Amino acid sequence: MTSAQHTTPRTAVPRMAVPAYAWALALLALFALYLVAQDNGAVLASAGDLAHEFFHDARHSLGMPCH
Amino acid sequence: MAAALDSPRQETAPRFAPLLGRFALAGAVAGVASGTWALLVTERAIAPALALEEARGGGHEHGEELVGRGTQLVGGFLGTVVAAVVFSVVVAAVYAGVRHRLPGRTDVGRVAVLTAVGFGVFALLPALKMPANPPAVGDPDTVGTRTAIYIAVLGAGVVTALLVSALVGTLRARGLHPSAVATAAVLLTVALVAATVLLVPDNPDSIASDVPAAVVWDFRLASLGQLAVMWTTLGLAAGYLVDRLARRS
Repeated sequence: MTSAQHTTPRTAVPRMAVPAYAWALALLALFALYLVAQDNGAVLASAGDLAHEFFHDARHSLGMPCH
Repeated sequence: MAAALDSPRQETAPRFAPLLGRFALAGAVAGVASGTWALLVTERAIAPALALEEARGGGHEHGEELVGRGTQLVGGFLGTVVAAVVFSVVVAAVYAGVRHRLPGRTDVGRVAVLTAVGFGVFALLPALKMPANPPAVGDPDTVGTRTAIYIAVLGAGVVTALLVSALVGTLRARGLHPSAVATAAVLLTVALVAATVLLVPDNPDSIASDVPAAVVWDFRLASLGQLAVMWTTLGLAAGYLVDRLARRS
């Protein structure tokens, strides 16, 4: 009685089914962000230099470490 | 709205694929909003730093016209959009996993809570520990150390969020009053944030004496504002779209 009254009715919110591809997609997205944000030629080699300079301002302005 | 909530019919959970679509759309909107902020506000704070770099007669050793400034502005905008969409995809997966545990009576409230946590972990905590620096300030030799610090802070932020939510769940299950639960959650958050700021090593870079404090701080505030625009827009837009989705299902 006591707890049921002043907590949100959690029983009313059903659990969602989270498919495995949801997490795979999240990891893939983070890896893409890593390429944009962090890769200083480590994975993309010389194309990385271009990407690095192209996204240079985004990296700084999002607070990510940069040279 | 209240009538719908009080109705005895159990709502059905939305499916993941349409939920992901709503989050990604909201992420694109958030990216355009924060990218616009980047062009209008952050770039104005970057300009004096680049002028300083120019005056030193250097620039980055690898920055010599590989990409022009105009192209870098486009990249700044697009990179911000990419980051916002990436965050929205990650938030969608996490939201699907924890939706039934988040506080809030509607999806608007629940999404707001989760994106506020996201802002805290991915924007506010890193800004507290290692505030963003404009170009011309960083030491290229320490970028590895600074990246490690950044990732350590993000990790500590995720752990903080998990521990606080575990504490809230435990205390609520014991029937504690919500005000007591909230107080405990705030105290644990403060303790863990303080531990993170104190225990993670500091940014090794010192700011050169020729860089005015205003150049650094204008940029830091512009950067934090950009992240605030991103997460706020993501929270509001995704909350609106997901709420409509849940009501339809």
